[in-house]
Amino acid sequence: MARFRKPSPRQVLLLLALACLAVIAAFMTVGAKGSWGFILSFRGAKIAVMVVVAYSIAVSTVLFQTVTNNRILTPAIMGFDSLYVLIQSGMVFLLGSSGIVSVDPRLRFAAEIAVMVAFSVLLYGSLFAGGRRSLHLLILAGIVFGIFFHSLSTFLQRLIDPAEFAFLQDRFFASFNLVRPDLLVTAVVIVAVVTLVAWRIMHSFDVLALGRDRAINLGVDHRRMVTIILMLVAILVSVSTALVGPITFFGLLVANLAYLVMPSGKHRHILPAAILLAIICLVGGQMILERVFGFDGNLRIVIEFLGGITFIALLLRGTAR
Amino acid sequence: MSHFLKRRALPGLPRLFSAAVLALAFAQATPALGQEKMEVRHAQGTTSVPHNPQRVVVFDLASLDTLDALGIEVDGVPGGVLPDDLSEYAADGIPKVGTVFEPDYEAVNALEPDLIIVGGRSAAKYQDLSRIAPTIDLTIDTADYLADVAKNVELLGGIFDKEKEAESRLAALRQSVEGLRAATSKIGNGLLVLTTGTKMSAYGPGSRFGILHGTFGVTPAIKDLQVSQHGQSISSEFILQTNPDWLFVIDRDAAIGRGGAAKTVLDNELVTQAKAWKEDQVVYLDPVNWYLVGGGLRSVQNMVDQLAQAFKKG
Amino acid sequence: MPKLLLAALGVALLAVLSLFVGATDLSPAALFSSGPESEAMRVMLASRIPRTAAVLLSGMAMGVSGMIMQMLVRNRFVEPGTAGTVESASLGILVVTLLAPGIDLFVKMLVAALFALSGTALFLAILRRIPLRSVLMVPLVGLMLSGIFESVTTFFAYRYDLLQSLNAWIVGDFSGVLRGRYELLWFALALTGAAYLAADRFTVAGMGRDFTTGLGLNYRRVVSFGLIIVSMVTAAVVVTVGTIPFLGLIVPNLVSMTVGDNVRRAVPWVAVVGAGFVLVCDLIGRTVRYPYEIPVGTVVGVVGSALFLYLLLRKDSSLG
Repeated sequence: MARFRKPSPRQVLLLLALACLAVIAAFMTVGAKGSWGFILSFRGAKIAVMVVVAYSIAVSTVLFQTVTNNRILTPAIMGFDSLYVLIQSGMVFLLGSSGIVSVDPRLRFAAEIAVMVAFSVLLYGSLFAGGRRSLHLLILAGIVFGIFFHSLSTFLQRLIDPAEFAFLQDRFFASFNLVRPDLLVTAVVIVAVVTLVAWRIMHSFDVLALGRDRAINLGVDHRRMVTIILMLVAILVSVSTALVGPITFFGLLVANLAYLVMPSGKHRHILPAAILLAIICLVGGQMILERVFGFDGNLRIVIEFLGGITFIALLLRGTAR
Repeated sequence: MSHFLKRRALPGLPRLFSAAVLALAFAQATPALGQEKMEVRHAQGTTSVPHNPQRVVVFDLASLDTLDALGIEVDGVPGGVLPDDLSEYAADGIPKVGTVFEPDYEAVNALEPDLIIVGGRSAAKYQDLSRIAPTIDLTIDTADYLADVAKNVELLGGIFDKEKEAESRLAALRQSVEGLRAATSKIGNGLLVLTTGTKMSAYGPGSRFGILHGTFGVTPAIKDLQVSQHGQSISSEFILQTNPDWLFVIDRDAAIGRGGAAKTVLDNELVTQAKAWKEDQVVYLDPVNWYLVGGGLRSVQNMVDQLAQAFKKG
Repeated sequence: MPKLLLAALGVALLAVLSLFVGATDLSPAALFSSGPESEAMRVMLASRIPRTAAVLLSGMAMGVSGMIMQMLVRNRFVEPGTAGTVESASLGILVVTLLAPGIDLFVKMLVAALFALSGTALFLAILRRIPLRSVLMVPLVGLMLSGIFESVTTFFAYRYDLLQSLNAWIVGDFSGVLRGRYELLWFALALTGAAYLAADRFTVAGMGRDFTTGLGLNYRRVVSFGLIIVSMVTAAVVVTVGTIPFLGLIVPNLVSMTVGDNVRRAVPWVAVVGAGFVLVCDLIGRTVRYPYEIPVGTVVGVVGSALFLYLLLRKDSSLG
């Protein structure tokens, strides 16, 4: 970020939008083989999945950070991804990989979302209920929850045989290569409903970001708002996780990138910036995976590697200021 | 196009969406006119497959092994590390279609295959691949190993007009299994151990390596069958306590081409006291056959041969 | 002090019990009635004593190093697992497995230790260059760095189909411990001892840079010393038995809830509680599915985190 010429929030958004379009155009056309009809529709479906996931992760993380008033806690860090892996391991353990395959994917999707939402309402409900709990406590509890689920699923994984482990390994890894149009449509509908609700309470996000006491002084029913937002976050996270599996640090990355590049702290600026950044990262990452590594790798790995390095580099550059 | 019809049964919006995606895909995959069709029953249902298909994409290494043994050409294989027996398929001339876990659907589609074969680790991709071309899943059920292997070999022989070849290879395999069973009935009991890093787990009858006991006839060293479908984490003490006549070792790390670790792990003051070690009755099973390509025509034959060789000496 | 002695005694009793739990039949009577060359004695010397020692040593070492880390960076949810130490050690193990699979186990350990040290050093170097506007930045950087290391490791493990082997290496498990295969842990104990001798300095460093400098101590040197100890100890434990999840997080937090923040007072407690905790978990892992085993990392994860969550959410006001 050049210090001398401070761009306006609008200019930043415009730049991000242009970059986003460029990445998508590149993704649609680079390295095409076979018929264009297949490629455009096939890659178009992939892009759709990525946009839904990017949208869900970006919005859920930013809202979650607003509610918890910090920039480090993300749903993923609070143990969601581990819970997802646990659900998957449990299913493979109980049903076997062939049993999993035979279940209707939409039914599985619905079950996964239900379990994830139930968990998050329970966990967040108990943790945020008083509003007086310290951030330290929350993070600690989140990390421990993560380890708890992770240990349980490791235990199950030790019990299943290597062929099924391979099957499971495939499911843990976020993959956009697997296009499931029927699930995608379900996901789009859910995300649209969530967005409608969020839109109606958009005005209070900036107030909430000021902190609990000031928000209450400004006339916000803090407890109620927090509960609603947490439910929305839970659903969004469930959608993205159930759709493509866990991407642990992605939300943290795009939210913090958005805070860094965006000169304004308002939600109507931060939210779209985070969404655009998320799309750029996902589509760009997938393109690198497919064209450079020939699929011999995994998107989560690419994103966490490049994303982590970008993040630390940005922090290091921050010293100059 | 029965697949296309089936897909249309999806309700609501998804149907429109997927139909748009897939209509184009299927326009590509239509096989040549006049080609005979045959119904094939496999692990995930029944698929209508062209007789003697011209273009074949294989994700299942066991099937690749069988096809290679029967001399059938293949037009697309997964990239990544392939075992020595199949290393010729790693050559640049043969198109790579992604990996076992992550098919490159565009590459598959570009090959315009008449048949796609998945199995084991790639079975999860059956649904997605069958949208591109007729797909069969040849995953082997460990409960009735040899029968399942034979079924797959016959099935592939049937599809590719290699029935005779398949039959004679199978007869040879059955015969050598009979020979092996005669040998195993006299050698006492055995324990199968899989090593991963420094850790060991034991496998018994009914597990994924249960073929050792069930089909090959080795008497299990452990009577109470806690060791079932899944391997059990064990210590060196356990081997000493069980004290089997023969110890069969699969080095998990060597299955991907890095051998030697298993022996280091076992060579300790407890295991060396066990009978199998003292009498030099430790067999390091070829991990490629047992672990990676388990269930192919040639790999099963190799498994039998290696064991027969080991027992001959004793 | 009497309380501490009592606790130590309890752990000692458990340790004796642990000597007689394992896959082979081994009773005290059989042990003493037979000669020194008997099988019972061999099992005792080659397997039981090393295993029990390894359990106690790693429990103590991981607990104390977690505590040092928390003192130095002044927040309660940092531990070697959130500073890139564990992940860089795994990367080292992977590199050795790929390049020289048949190599001596001890060499494997040394290479991994080297990687762990470099990883933690990188963590330090990054921290030093970033203005720490908030304490929360420390675990954030640590998590990101861990993520980068882990992604490199996973990339190659996935590519070479080594993921399950790597998991087996990384998940804490004492079933592979034998005489001649755990001795690196004594080195970890020695380092822990050194940490105890320097305990007061860590307490001071925990008060902050200005306070430390005001007392005439070299703040940076104290911090570096602490982090070197932490990374060496972690590397030794990870390569010998694998990771024992968040032991370095849970034990010091439990102890500080009751004993307070004075390191010299807390270190013995952390050591005893850490050793006892891991021992109990390993005993559970050895007996639940006898004669087969459940890895201790898993038992610690399940039992420990359930217990910890209970304590945390019950009396949260005393934390943070």
